[in-house]
Amino acid sequence: MKNTPENVTDVLSIDRRRFLALAGAAALVPGAALAALTDSIPVARRRMLQRNGYAIDAETPLDALTTYVTPNDLFFVRHHWNPQYAGHKGWSLTVDGEVERPLRITAQDLRRLPRTTVTCVLQCAGNGRGLFQPFVPGVQWKYGAVGNARWTGVRVRDLLEQAGMKAGGRHLHTFGSDKPPVRTPPFHRSVEIEKVLADAIVADEMNGEPLPALHGGPARLVVPGWAGEHWTKWLERLSVAPEAQKGFYMETAYRYPKVLGAPGVPVPPAETRPVTELFVKSNVTEVPARARVGAPAMLRGFAFSGTPDVGRVEVSDDDGQSWQPADLDPQHDPWAWRLWSFRWSPKAAGRMTLHVRATDSAGTVQPREGAWNPSGYLYNGWHSASIEVEA
Amino acid sequence: MRRGAAFSFLALSLAALLVSPTDASARRTKKKKASGRSRTVSAPSFDPRLPILGTKLAEFPAGPAKAVADQACLACHSVDIVAQQRLTEKQWGAELTKMAGWGADFPADRREELLGYLVKNFGPDAAPWEPVVTRPAGR
Repeated sequence: MKNTPENVTDVLSIDRRRFLALAGAAALVPGAALAALTDSIPVARRRMLQRNGYAIDAETPLDALTTYVTPNDLFFVRHHWNPQYAGHKGWSLTVDGEVERPLRITAQDLRRLPRTTVTCVLQCAGNGRGLFQPFVPGVQWKYGAVGNARWTGVRVRDLLEQAGMKAGGRHLHTFGSDKPPVRTPPFHRSVEIEKVLADAIVADEMNGEPLPALHGGPARLVVPGWAGEHWTKWLERLSVAPEAQKGFYMETAYRYPKVLGAPGVPVPPAETRPVTELFVKSNVTEVPARARVGAPAMLRGFAFSGTPDVGRVEVSDDDGQSWQPADLDPQHDPWAWRLWSFRWSPKAAGRMTLHVRATDSAGTVQPREGAWNPSGYLYNGWHSASIEVEA
Repeated sequence: MRRGAAFSFLALSLAALLVSPTDASARRTKKKKASGRSRTVSAPSFDPRLPILGTKLAEFPAGPAKAVADQACLACHSVDIVAQQRLTEKQWGAELTKMAGWGADFPADRREELLGYLVKNFGPDAAPWEPVVTRPAGR
């Protein structure tokens, strides 16, 4: 396995062929399918910020994260290694381990099983790592390793029922087809069975289109409310086991201090827990650079949490001493983000800083500072916007 | 990085076929026009001057250890992921140990030189690194 730009163009070309096939189908059935292919984001904002050329890591600029559903081509990309992409024809998903009847499911089988759609946020555990001080190693994501999409596929619970999961199954081990280069440890993960049975799905569609290869197609795991490392891409095997998966990406990476320490101080593995639920967070996506005293200025953004919903979003123009409520968009789904807007009336001229914070449905309030941790996970400090106010 | 340049050329050639300015939405509109359902011609849904994701690759900065860094790092990942780090000597040392264990290919007697090169170019006080702005992808 080589991680080279050749593989990248392979993957892009596969996505393009599948897209053209879908676009052809959409031409026959105008309406829903076609609507999925369009969005309101202006051309000038339709771009990505590449943080790694190969394997690909790219985040979405905040000013392109303005819609309830993030378009597939603007959705952040996070690859540990270039995928070995099987394509639909040869692809199958094995379900084995602590089950009575191991399954082998083809792409066609997946489409015949009862389907479900979940609209929810996918965020990389490391989104915001580049905002931590002191610096920590890893992809230096700022704000855009996050998006909200409609994921369609089959409930893992249904697959495990079909396979006859045995009583001793406590964890679902997940395996993708991306193979690490040289002696890099494989990206083997597991998810606690309670979470799997509650709402995990094997998704083969994203926003009404076949799941793009860049995002894990033919199929990936979707684990609503949990960070991206659980959402195994290029899924090829699910295996039920009594214990959690072992290895670097379970025992060393994707772990968070049980008790937060001082910034810059290492934390021993025994004093860490797995990164699972997302932290409550809001970001500003649209803000005018200038405003005038007495003339309202509009701010917009999104907010989400590892709890099913966001309770409120607030804006402060006095460094957090007082907060005013933003308007929440009525559109929402469990574990999806809420778009918000805020009409701000500047009272004085000068450079003003506005802070935004969200509170989730469990009452947890977004903190002023993201809590420093050795691997830079789950940054969620207040997001701020600077506006020059003219008299 | 000669190999990288060759790939870039290949990628640009493929680009004309894969995601040319006549992108899929424009083609769709043409189809509709042909069938008489629409007469509008849509523009590309992105700036076609932007590079394709994964094809614009940086080089390591010049220096005696550049060849060591090329050999050690680029078999598995591009320069970007190294160049965006702002790590102390201790942190870079830990990264080198990890990467050597994972198969990074550099002679043991050039480790200190490589470490110094990384700290000098990508230490905490280095100038900010900017990501490459690319086209949307993955549809």
